Amino acid sequence: MTTEEQAGQPGDILELPAASRATDIALDELELVYAFIYARVGNRADAEDLTQQVAMKAIPRLHQTAPASAIRGYLFATARSVLGAFWSTRLGLSEAELREDLALVIPAGPSPEAGTETVQQILTQLSDNYRRVLELRFLHGYSLKEVAAEMHSSVGAIKVMQLRALRAAAKVRIPE
Amino acid sequence: MNRKPEDRLDKIVSDLLRGRRLKLRGGDAEEKAAITAAARLAGARQAPQRMHPAFRNRLAGALEQTPSGGWMTRRGALVAGLGLAAGAAGGAFLSREMETQPRRAGGEPIDPVKGRWVDVAALTDLPEGQGHQVVAGSIGAFLFRRGDSVSAVSSICSHLPCELWWSHRDGHLACPCHPAAFTPDGRPTNAYALPALNTVRVRVTAAGRVEVLGTE
Repeated sequence: MTTEEQAGQPGDILELPAASRATDIALDELELVYAFIYARVGNRADAEDLTQQVAMKAIPRLHQTAPASAIRGYLFATARSVLGAFWSTRLGLSEAELREDLALVIPAGPSPEAGTETVQQILTQLSDNYRRVLELRFLHGYSLKEVAAEMHSSVGAIKVMQLRALRAAAKVRIPE
Repeated sequence: MNRKPEDRLDKIVSDLLRGRRLKLRGGDAEEKAAITAAARLAGARQAPQRMHPAFRNRLAGALEQTPSGGWMTRRGALVAGLGLAAGAAGGAFLSREMETQPRRAGGEPIDPVKGRWVDVAALTDLPEGQGHQVVAGSIGAFLFRRGDSVSAVSSICSHLPCELWWSHRDGHLACPCHPAAFTPDGRPTNAYALPALNTVRVRVTAAGRVEVLGTE
């Protein structure tokens, strides 16, 4: 087995050289991409896979001398494409269908910090009950049972309300 | 399974709130809007997420593999363990490059140092063409019967050290740790340029028993 093959064993921890400035820049940009993707898939495992895909697709086509704005633009354009493919595969729909029906709109520029704020904007446009059930469930981490107790309702009714609230939340359009 | 949409959606929400990845089914497309809204809300529970240090290191390793010109090459990324293929936009470019690059084939048989044949099943117990998971000491394998012959591949993903599972619906072995999948003969499905699964030695006795070369 060659040295290269040994290094290529899946799961190996590589001895990394001191990161160069170019690598630091790329990683900082990929941090933004990661946050951007995480805010849309809601879990670490998928966010890591998709960020890897973005790196795999975009980085070989970039040069270290490219201006930061061009690098960022290309990375986020790639992230949009990767996210579209992700939802398309998971839901078994064409990307065109998804874009039309879901308005899978992703801002042209990176603004991951706006994620929480955007969600608050969405929630404020919902009816009181819908907003409350989503706040308790997602932002406060309540179980269905706890939400039911808090809202003086049954688990079954809260489950239906959660579905309707999410359908309503999907229809809210926030100017990006 | 004919579950009510509110039950199905709550399962997806519960998984997201536990930090699990999105596992969707064909029928979930009807609730696509609610599901993407749920993912977005789950993603906004905390302050903007940063990459886990181990993941960031893997990316850094890939970037540092660049020989010249760009940041990294396809080969560099594979060496760093980022064996994920690009999607449609980059597919042609990458596949061309892959043709000229040495690729880790994988698929070598597992020959344990102190191996011994372990009886794992009767041939008649194995469904035709379907994955059947067995354990032979320290060796985990999926058996596949075709007529009177049986083949076996390792039950551990060739990329991340996670135990695969057999998807009846898709007819492939799927990794729970990332969206990689393998055919019954251990080859990665098209989307991922991963090494093939190790094969596991298997034989059928005259008495119709299936034995796997495992360990004590």
